[in-house]
Amino acid sequence: MKTKSNLKNIVNKNQIPLGPFHPLLEEAEYFNITVDGETVVDIDMDTGWMHRGHEFISEQKTFTQSIYLVERICGICSTSHPLACVHAVEDVDNIEIPLRGRYIRTLVGELERIHSHLLWVGLAGHFIGYDTVWMWAWKYREPVLQMFEIISGNRNHYGMLRVGGVGKDVDPASVPELNKILDTLDKKMDMIAKIANDDPVLRSRLVNVGILSKKDAIDFCAVGPTSRASGVRGDIRKDEPTDAYDLVDFNEIITKNGDVYDKFVVRVLETLESIKICRQCLNKLKIIDGPILNNVKEISAGEGIGRYEAPRGEVFHYVRTDGTNRPIRHKVRAPSYNNIPTFQASCKGIPIADALITLAGVDPCYCCTERAIRVTDKNNKKNNIDLLKLSRDKTSNIRGNF
Amino acid sequence: MADYQEFINEMGSKIKVEIKKKRRLYFQVKNDDILEIIDHLFNKMGCRLSTATATETYNGVEALYHFSDDKTGNYYCPRVVMKDKENPEMNSITPIVKGAEWIEREMAEWWGIKFIGHPRPIPLLSRNHPKAPNKPMRCGR
Amino acid sequence: MGWYNKRLAKSLWVFHISGSPCNNCDIEILDLITPKYDVERLGIKLVGSIRHADVLLVTGVFNEKVAPKIKKIYEQAPKPIFVVAIGSCPSSGTVFKNSYNIVENRESVIPIDMYIPGCPPKPEAMIEGVAKLMEKLNG
Repeated sequence: MKTKSNLKNIVNKNQIPLGPFHPLLEEAEYFNITVDGETVVDIDMDTGWMHRGHEFISEQKTFTQSIYLVERICGICSTSHPLACVHAVEDVDNIEIPLRGRYIRTLVGELERIHSHLLWVGLAGHFIGYDTVWMWAWKYREPVLQMFEIISGNRNHYGMLRVGGVGKDVDPASVPELNKILDTLDKKMDMIAKIANDDPVLRSRLVNVGILSKKDAIDFCAVGPTSRASGVRGDIRKDEPTDAYDLVDFNEIITKNGDVYDKFVVRVLETLESIKICRQCLNKLKIIDGPILNNVKEISAGEGIGRYEAPRGEVFHYVRTDGTNRPIRHKVRAPSYNNIPTFQASCKGIPIADALITLAGVDPCYCCTERAIRVTDKNNKKNNIDLLKLSRDKTSNIRGNF
Repeated sequence: MADYQEFINEMGSKIKVEIKKKRRLYFQVKNDDILEIIDHLFNKMGCRLSTATATETYNGVEALYHFSDDKTGNYYCPRVVMKDKENPEMNSITPIVKGAEWIEREMAEWWGIKFIGHPRPIPLLSRNHPKAPNKPMRCGR
Repeated sequence: MGWYNKRLAKSLWVFHISGSPCNNCDIEILDLITPKYDVERLGIKLVGSIRHADVLLVTGVFNEKVAPKIKKIYEQAPKPIFVVAIGSCPSSGTVFKNSYNIVENRESVIPIDMYIPGCPPKPEAMIEGVAKLMEKLNG
């Protein structure tokens, strides 16, 4: 028999399904958010909607084929995954990479960081109903893709990397043009940094929203901007400088609060650092001449760990070889895998209108705006579009006050 | 290399060092000692769990944890070998490291490893899956 | 239905779902509505619900878990609906065709009217594809 308090629980606690076609996530996930009134009390996740079995396929491919496979894990991190993969294979035999190849790797990796962070800034604006930020940020993302087209020939999925170096050289004649694009980008990024500082709507929507404490960030083993915004030190580029990262000068951005605003700031400032690194790489590419690829004949049996600081955090690849031309085990761990469980800590106790931006706050590789479907249609269940509307209404109310 | 020599001395006979490389240390641990080692790595040394890898070899099913020491850039990889291929079992480290919840659920689901003491032993990727694959990553699948 | 299709071609409303893609095609689709390409000038609009849509864009190789949901979305759509598959994945399966978790024949899940290949297709290619669809609808 139901007691009175039980009944009260049932009446007050509503469940809001998010997904499974939720736009926020790389592995499209199904979230079941339990709310009490307007406050989130619990969050449950169901993943696996995007599982394609990369680790299984990789065991059937050679090391060079693997690079093209891991590129297609995620379209946004399509340099980070191959970079970590070649680092892992190189770690088995301690393969040296030519200097020019190292600079080209760093250049491509940092350009990817700029485009990924701009993408996040835009979508964060979109989720809080501030579409101007979205349009502007994506407008300034286009020059980066143009740079990629000049360097690699494709807007995404560059296919630049090989075990032992890079597969395609940067044409020295294109360097002045690339520098010119970076100059315009620099000015625009300064503008976006100022927006983050000044804009009252952005501040009132993001400050003190979805706080992830330092202790939780350590407990959940969060990585990248998610943990750095909470004050946890950790940047693979500094900790284990591969490629040209020990030869270039840059700062690690750390903030203290751990709210979505701090994540915003970390990402915008990191973009400025990345532009700085790109400049240094381009300058060096003018001077340094030489081979770009070390010819690797064979990989001996052994185990290797490769990692790289992707835009979202540490990408981890583990390769175990047996002396043939293909791995017997290839483990891939994307940064979102560690960052997504932090929702359990950061989402509890916040208003439901803020939940969406908190979910988006860790940059879980989300790709599109509105792909939500209504999965259940019982009473007192809202669908995801309502949630987006709630979030946008809150911003328009705030905007009205200014 | 001198960095992790201290760790090897402290642990003594509990670990069996397999591979020593620049910044990488792979060692074998018995299932009974794993919790103690992980407590030492995570709480005392302040390492961060990167992830864990399960592999099937001739010796049995292996679970290899990857702990990153962000201060020095070293990697500590404790490996647990389960001889019983039919019903592999090991102690769950999730009560100590919260971040291991997902990866242990994934290993349980794709390799059939049973984690003793896991707080939420439900499948991660094949939950509500209409045609859930049966241990697809094992040999002889 | 010639007269109906002509009306439809004036302003196509597009709904987008992803069946296990790598996000790249999805981002390029989103790129289309931002200032550089701006397909809203052609009357194309990305909508939030399948019930408002005339065109369904699908990306990716469908995995076994997501395929029934895609089918469900297609069933919810008002007919006629035109399904456009974006990228190489829906057409050939690319690198994923040996996986244990993907649907072998995407057309057995939903009927696909048009393929735009490329990994990912350039935004110009997608605009051309949609323009061809409009041409077809206009007769």
